[in-house]
Amino acid sequence: MRPTSSVARRAFAESRISTGSFALLFAVVAYAQAFGYDASFPTLRDRMQFAESFADNMALRTMYGFPHDLLSTGGYTAWRVGGVLSIVAAAWALLAAIRVLRAEEDSGRQELVLSGIVGRRGAYLAAITAIAAGAAVLWLATLLGLVGGGLDAGGSAFLALAIVSPVPVFAGVGALASQFAPTRRLATGMASAVLALAFVTRVIADTSAGLSWLRWASPLGWVEEMRAFSSARPEVLALPLISGAALLTLAGAIALRRDVGSGLLRSRDRSSPRLGLLSSPVALALRGERGVLVAWLAGVGIFAFVIGSLAKTVAGAGLSADLERELQKVGGAAITTPAGYVGLTFLFLVLALSLFACSQVAAARSEEAEGRLETLFALPVGRRDWLGGRLALAAAATVVLALAAGALAWAGAASQGADVSLSQMLEAGANCLPAALLFGAFGALALALAPRASAAIAYGLVAVAFVWELLGALLGAPGWMLGLSPFHHVGLLPAEPFRAVAALVMLGLAAATALAAAWAFRRRDLSAA
Amino acid sequence: MTAAIRADGLTKRYGDTLALDALDLAVAPGEVYGYLGPNGAGKTTTIRMLLGLHRPSAGHAAIFGIDAWSTPVAAHRRLAYVPGEPFLWPALTGAETLAYLARLHGDSDKAYGDLLVQRFKLDTDKKVRALSKGNRQKVQLIAAFATRADLMILDEPTTGLDPLMEMAFRETVLEAKARGQTVFLSSHILSEVEALCDRVGILRDGRLVDEGTLGELRHLAAQTIDVSFDGPAPDLRGLEGVHVAPAGRSALRLEVSGGVGPVIAALAEHPVATLTSREPSLEEIFLHHYDGSTGSNGRAPH
Repeated sequence: MRPTSSVARRAFAESRISTGSFALLFAVVAYAQAFGYDASFPTLRDRMQFAESFADNMALRTMYGFPHDLLSTGGYTAWRVGGVLSIVAAAWALLAAIRVLRAEEDSGRQELVLSGIVGRRGAYLAAITAIAAGAAVLWLATLLGLVGGGLDAGGSAFLALAIVSPVPVFAGVGALASQFAPTRRLATGMASAVLALAFVTRVIADTSAGLSWLRWASPLGWVEEMRAFSSARPEVLALPLISGAALLTLAGAIALRRDVGSGLLRSRDRSSPRLGLLSSPVALALRGERGVLVAWLAGVGIFAFVIGSLAKTVAGAGLSADLERELQKVGGAAITTPAGYVGLTFLFLVLALSLFACSQVAAARSEEAEGRLETLFALPVGRRDWLGGRLALAAAATVVLALAAGALAWAGAASQGADVSLSQMLEAGANCLPAALLFGAFGALALALAPRASAAIAYGLVAVAFVWELLGALLGAPGWMLGLSPFHHVGLLPAEPFRAVAALVMLGLAAATALAAAWAFRRRDLSAA
Repeated sequence: MTAAIRADGLTKRYGDTLALDALDLAVAPGEVYGYLGPNGAGKTTTIRMLLGLHRPSAGHAAIFGIDAWSTPVAAHRRLAYVPGEPFLWPALTGAETLAYLARLHGDSDKAYGDLLVQRFKLDTDKKVRALSKGNRQKVQLIAAFATRADLMILDEPTTGLDPLMEMAFRETVLEAKARGQTVFLSSHILSEVEALCDRVGILRDGRLVDEGTLGELRHLAAQTIDVSFDGPAPDLRGLEGVHVAPAGRSALRLEVSGGVGPVIAALAEHPVATLTSREPSLEEIFLHHYDGSTGSNGRAPH
């Protein structure tokens, strides 16, 4: 057993930074929601009023899920925290599974392990053990956050369990994708598509009358049906456990039977030459990233279309001025009109586009980490030209995604007869750009100054800024501190007016940062992994 | 005439580590220069600075008089590079990779490239991710030599090649030399360097410890003389510049650095049966510089 357990320990240790950051995020979010609700709505009367207007709000349901109980701190926290963190836990699980199962094979390291005295079964079990250990860390972090925020230990333990309950299922999805796909990239794409499907299914179930049974079709819906802090149903935990075990067993059975280093889907290793898009590094990057761009376009487009088509069903209820102010703290203004609904949900589009911009920086970094820049820069290819081209490509792709999101949100809304115009929605899409481009430029500067940590820095800044935007006001932070997050300066178009000054400042800062990045990148040593 | 490669006091520090210590180097156009050194001696560091990929801590490097760090693109128009590790795009086929690299270089001889594909027996329809290390290396070699650039910089280019391909590589280098191209060959395959190079530089711990034609290096290094005697071997210890090792009861092996005159004079007083002398191989020169802890003079005592 010893060699197998050292493989498991190694896998766990290699993911310590990623798991540690997720654990910190879980603890902070859990703590802030529990603590913030008590502070914002101290009396039952406040809570009744809040619950009345929120119970049927579709925008918030899209993001957070179905509220079972908004009158208690626990019920509110379960709603605000459960829906979002369970998605993050699912994403963590599939990435972790693909890292330990596919990336290890992709890099050839698995061959080395299996050439020793660790068998295939042992290696697979070690990988799963490492994921389970990581999930335990996330569970503990969430529990500590909830208890720290003033909730009782028993209920918190169950809510934390509900939040990490998608882990077995999505670890299973990641493990299965790792058996099919011959590369890490394809495995991540396949597993992410399953997660997106689960999310969309949950959104439809939560927001469409008569379709609430669909919740049972999504592992993210199961989290809601566990009803932590309202009428807890621990028996629902059996669903993710059983389906997760089934997926993992199936993936394990395939892993024991196939050739090491391959996937069930054969990669095509021969082809006659296709000479398109080979004229420059930017052209080749576009050639390589085509699949990723199409996947993002599909994901963002479907999200926007669903948002658009739900906009009409949002109930228009008058709100008191007091409540309006409290609403500002939990998610924004005027969310009771179709335009307001789209505006608020588009804040998530800003997040998605920012993450996309970071993913492009990470792709550029991997060119360097895998040594290909050394080949490239020994040719008559200038470094500034290369980085400039990559950034221009990333910016152009971000613009395309933003406009496509606007157009599809309009199409969705128009299909339901909602009262928004195409130009309004294209503006709302474009409005997402300054913040996303700014994050991309920050990522580029990280690439120039701290290449090995650049992806972590880029994604980390987006995550911290977004969490701060969601939680800062709730924690009573002063305005200048809230203003540190670029998300704070995004007007909720089409409900709010366009904030031209903020947008121009962000774009100017992005351009200046990108120039600084190009300058610094030219002056440093190339650094492979 | 402007040197193909010129380094003046080229120094590189990575943190506390001194990777290259005030290297002076000049490679003339048309020369095939062998750059020898064990792992970690600083060969790749030198090349990265010649290519302007890493920034010199002190000193500078120039390619045909063009500064490698401040104007790399202009310098790179005159050269082609083969890295020791084949870093290519896994999703492209061999043919696509060759087309891409040729376009980036801007000036490449397609017909010669096709000839090299034949010579190296490369399957160009295979994707790079499905190629073995040796085959990836062939892609890099073909791409580089097809440019017919004035200067070829090769960093251990044959480590993954089989003996047949090694011969194809030598043929290609000799063709380049015949055309007047300059070749900078970093290697630790000594037979290769011995077969191809006009001049050799030996690097140790970031410093050039020896440099010259093979003839010059041989002259400086120890010569081996095997002597057998009729009767027991005499005691020849104490001769200046001679290391004596017994080789049986009546034979000696002498390692002579410097002139052989004193040895001949000493041997004349004894009944010599046979005497063979040979020049040191490059391997012996190489080991002479790295064996044990002595500096650049004398073989370490065994």
